Amino acid sequence: MNIAERTGRRRLAVGWEAGDRRQVWPWPRLTLAVLAVAACAVPFLLNPYRVFQLTMVLVYGVALLGLNLVVGQSGQISLGHGAFLALGAYVPAVATGPLGLPHPVALPLSALLAFGLGLALGLPALRLRGVYLAVVTLAIAVVVPPVIKRFGAVTGGSMGLSVSAPSAPSWSGLADDQWLYLLVLAVAAVAFAAVRNLLGSRAGRALAAIRENPEAAEVLGVRIAAHRTLVFAWSAMYAGVAGTLYAWVVGFVSPDSFTVTLSIVLLAAAVVGGPDSPAGPLLGAIFMTFVPAAAQGAGDAVPGLVSGLVIILVVCAAPAGLAGLLRMAAGAVARRLGRE
Amino acid sequence: MSAVRRRSAAFPDGGPQGGNDPSAGGGPAGPPFLRVSGLRAGYGPARVLNGIELVVGEGEMVAVLGPNGAGKTTLLRALSGMVRGRGSVRLRGTEILGKAPEEVARLGVTHVPEGRGTFAPLTVEENLRIGAHLRRRSHVAEDMRRVLAYFPLLQAHLRQPAGSLSGGEQQMLAVGRALMAQPRLLLLDEPSRGLAPVTTRRLFDVLRAVNLHDGVTVIVVEQNAQLALEFASRALVMETGRLALAGEAGRLGPGRRVASAYLGPRR
Ligand SMILES: Nc1ncnc2c1ncn2[C@@H]1O[C@H](COP(=O)(O)OP(=O)(O)OP(=O)(O)O)[C@@H](O)[C@H]1O
Ligand SMILES: [Mg+2]
Repeated sequence: MNIAERTGRRRLAVGWEAGDRRQVWPWPRLTLAVLAVAACAVPFLLNPYRVFQLTMVLVYGVALLGLNLVVGQSGQISLGHGAFLALGAYVPAVATGPLGLPHPVALPLSALLAFGLGLALGLPALRLRGVYLAVVTLAIAVVVPPVIKRFGAVTGGSMGLSVSAPSAPSWSGLADDQWLYLLVLAVAAVAFAAVRNLLGSRAGRALAAIRENPEAAEVLGVRIAAHRTLVFAWSAMYAGVAGTLYAWVVGFVSPDSFTVTLSIVLLAAAVVGGPDSPAGPLLGAIFMTFVPAAAQGAGDAVPGLVSGLVIILVVCAAPAGLAGLLRMAAGAVARRLGRE
Repeated sequence: MSAVRRRSAAFPDGGPQGGNDPSAGGGPAGPPFLRVSGLRAGYGPARVLNGIELVVGEGEMVAVLGPNGAGKTTLLRALSGMVRGRGSVRLRGTEILGKAPEEVARLGVTHVPEGRGTFAPLTVEENLRIGAHLRRRSHVAEDMRRVLAYFPLLQAHLRQPAGSLSGGEQQMLAVGRALMAQPRLLLLDEPSRGLAPVTTRRLFDVLRAVNLHDGVTVIVVEQNAQLALEFASRALVMETGRLALAGEAGRLGPGRRVASAYLGPRR
């Protein structure tokens, strides 16, 4: 199935939609380097609230990086990634709080647990595709808040738990929020690199093949169910890691932070950002963080309304997401510069 | 090309497997390379294959002819596990009917499906690499060189998305991708569809080279009877779910029996 069919557009697939991956932007490395420098400079230039917001962008970016593996690479729909986020968030809350484990343990622990949960859910859902996987994952997202409340002795019930974040070491001379931002940035960079690596590997190619033409992939010996399950587990792992970062940044976890809405907003952000583009998770995370915040001043119901409108607009006008728009803009700029 | 030359070329040294008369179904050396017996298959309630009997020796190149809707595609799909069937399909004595396509592929059977099925957004090189999914990493570069030597046209397009190739080029890519898997049994469903006559010949030259030099057994569905009879060591005509006629291609020739069974009595 080609992209034109998937997005239901009758227009002939051209450029990015036809999968044309020739570089339109002539300076990818330079741009990445500038972005990296800017990202490192952020905590020293902006006020603490902005730093907090950008930290949240990175946290959601990690989660969307994972969700994109399922949505963009595997071509499936998960409505349950909020559940993995919740798991990852409660790990530091419980492990470093009541259990008294050191902070650095929380990250690999939640990665491992979320991977395991993803695998456990993926195995029975092995043959589930499209809407069936969506329904199963939705059920998980629905179940999570009541389960958290039910085991109040561990999780703090509906009252939630406060989480202590790793604080800045004295040698660094940084404030805690600056330190946390840099920590999250480092994790996000590693996560990004790992995804790029995965997609360039044999498994990444197999995934793309499965998405494009499962029958043709199968007769070449690609184990479809195994790849789908594994990528779902990977994706869950990213969400778990993002959950831990979330708990550190926000400093508090409660069941109300991980309702079905979170899962749905994540999926919407993945689509709005651009599910099969490297810039998609970042753009989706920016959408998730800033659009509601910007509309906050106008009244109670406005953030939801504005978010909904933006989603509809982007999906209708740019099926490849904000990343697709950005790419088109970059192509136009590059062409103009090239002509001069 | 004469039947005699075909046979002597296909089995140059009369090796233990190649030397057996394929239609006799192997011999003392062991089970035949491929033995299909009583194969029935279809889609839901619709039965398409009604008891296929077929024995193919290792290193043979068999052409399957037949009118549209006869079930040729379905036969190849049943062999590669894409549709379920009843009866028996044994590859070197191992039952492969009922196995999933990816497991059949792991036993060395590669299917080039009808209508190519290239992965459009992936580059030509990536398509070829997916063909080598089951191969060891260290072999891929060598395999790639070999396949590109067969299809030099692809060389210039390696970094281009497969979807941007012409139909004929995609067809070659599909065959090249299958060759990357180093199959022991290659199933091709109308590989010449949409190819210019010259290109078709070149494709069949490649298939013959693969068949002769690499000893790959080939079953090819082909609408161009003349071409099929020229290149294959044996031609089968399929009619409404049965193999109606089998014989040695050279001896059979594009003669009257094939003509009436396949082209219709009026010719
Ligand atoms: N996916 C399917 N579902 C249901 N019926 C099918 C399907 N594919 C094929 N058939 C039916 O099976 C019969 C044989 O089809 P098949 O594709 O095997 O024929 P064929 O010999 O390959 O024809 P052609 O030369 O046109 O490619 C046809 O009557 C067709 O209607
Ligand atoms: Mg057919």
